[in-house]
Amino acid sequence: MHKNSFTLFFAAIVTIVCSLLLAGAATLLRDRQQENVELDKRTNILASAGMTEINGKPLTRADVLRIYEEQIRSMVIDKNGNKTDKSIDELDPKEDGEYLPLYYCVNKDSIESYIIPISGKGLWSTIYGYLAIEPDGKTVKGITFYQHGETPGLGGEIEKEWFTNNFKGKQIVDEQGNLTSITVVKGSVKDKISDVSKRKYYVDGVSGATLTGRGLTKFLKEDLEKYEPFFKKIRK
Amino acid sequence: MGNTEITTTPELKVIDAKPKEKLFSRKNKRALTDPLSDNNPITLQVLGICSALAVTVQVKTALVMSLAVIFVVSLSNVVISMMRKQIPSKIRIIVELAVIATLVILVDQILKAYMYDVSKKLSVFVGLIITNCIIMGRAEAFALQNKVWPSFLDGLGNGLGYGLILTVIAFFREIFGSGTLLGYQVVPQALYNAGYENIGLMVLSPGAFILLGLIVWVQRSITKKYVE
Repeated sequence: MHKNSFTLFFAAIVTIVCSLLLAGAATLLRDRQQENVELDKRTNILASAGMTEINGKPLTRADVLRIYEEQIRSMVIDKNGNKTDKSIDELDPKEDGEYLPLYYCVNKDSIESYIIPISGKGLWSTIYGYLAIEPDGKTVKGITFYQHGETPGLGGEIEKEWFTNNFKGKQIVDEQGNLTSITVVKGSVKDKISDVSKRKYYVDGVSGATLTGRGLTKFLKEDLEKYEPFFKKIRK
Repeated sequence: MGNTEITTTPELKVIDAKPKEKLFSRKNKRALTDPLSDNNPITLQVLGICSALAVTVQVKTALVMSLAVIFVVSLSNVVISMMRKQIPSKIRIIVELAVIATLVILVDQILKAYMYDVSKKLSVFVGLIITNCIIMGRAEAFALQNKVWPSFLDGLGNGLGYGLILTVIAFFREIFGSGTLLGYQVVPQALYNAGYENIGLMVLSPGAFILLGLIVWVQRSITKKYVE
């Protein structure tokens, strides 16, 4: 039987050794971890704007950094859709409504697309993604989802290309200029929406993931409404 | 080592030879291979079920999870076995837990730094290795009583046994649930055109339960052990 003093001593040693190890590992790896998070974000911003590969090869780390530097710019707009002189880094993500971050993709001084962050509840989790809109302010250029906790194989399919590709070319406003957003249907658009001219406001759902689709429809609309003042100006 | 004295008395020689048993003596081999089938942590001890259901939708995540568990259980067994004579019995559980938690957080940090994609998919389940009964169980039941090398083998064996079942379940779940293997399409498009559909049940937890039940059944009918 050990003495109490030894027990205390032993506990102290174990605690110190463990904490030193963890503190060391966390410090050593922090830079690379933050780089990964940032890189992941950039990869997804590029992907939403349709840039996922060069010459048929997936982007490498260096490609992502280079293209992002060259082509992606960011700004902050207020809720009336006016540009502000704030920078995107000083924007507090929790601050809701007042100021909105906006990315845009440039190619030789002309704007190729506007990219907005989107997020909201799916079935089990908060889904995060980016939505790219063409310079006309109406047409979807692409969409990505980079973080979610939906069931893999069901709701998790939203991150797959077959699903995100459905959004390309869809319209977020109707002929009168009112925001329609995009609705994820249950099943396929061909079967559900008989009016062919309306099909451009809908995308195919994932079978077995109706509730994820419903959540997606809801937060897509909410987020687009926030940016609507800005896009209205673009459309004029 | 006083070899000269020992050679004079044959009995002592035998005693001295005992700790120098071969690296892969029968006992050590059993510590390594028993958990693979006869004493598998998942199918016979029914431990670690929660993670076995959660990370087996795809083979890739199952493999990474298995590697993480193998690493943690082998090393925690080694560390605890090294300290087994010093650990005060009053606080042994919390010491074991501290060692395991430290190793798991290390793994989590490394995954976040070098395998960010997989780490995102495994999410909380890496952290939950801490509470995986297999690891705590091996520390309590084996490492506290045994020398370092057998403890390492025992940890390795149990980790492999866990990983084996995980990989088998993930193999079937990915093929039947998504039609892919390690992300590559294996079910040909022609089959889908002929009306074949992925089995939705397989990507949900009940699918893993059913597979696990089948594996237990097959295993017991082959080994003829534990058959009532």
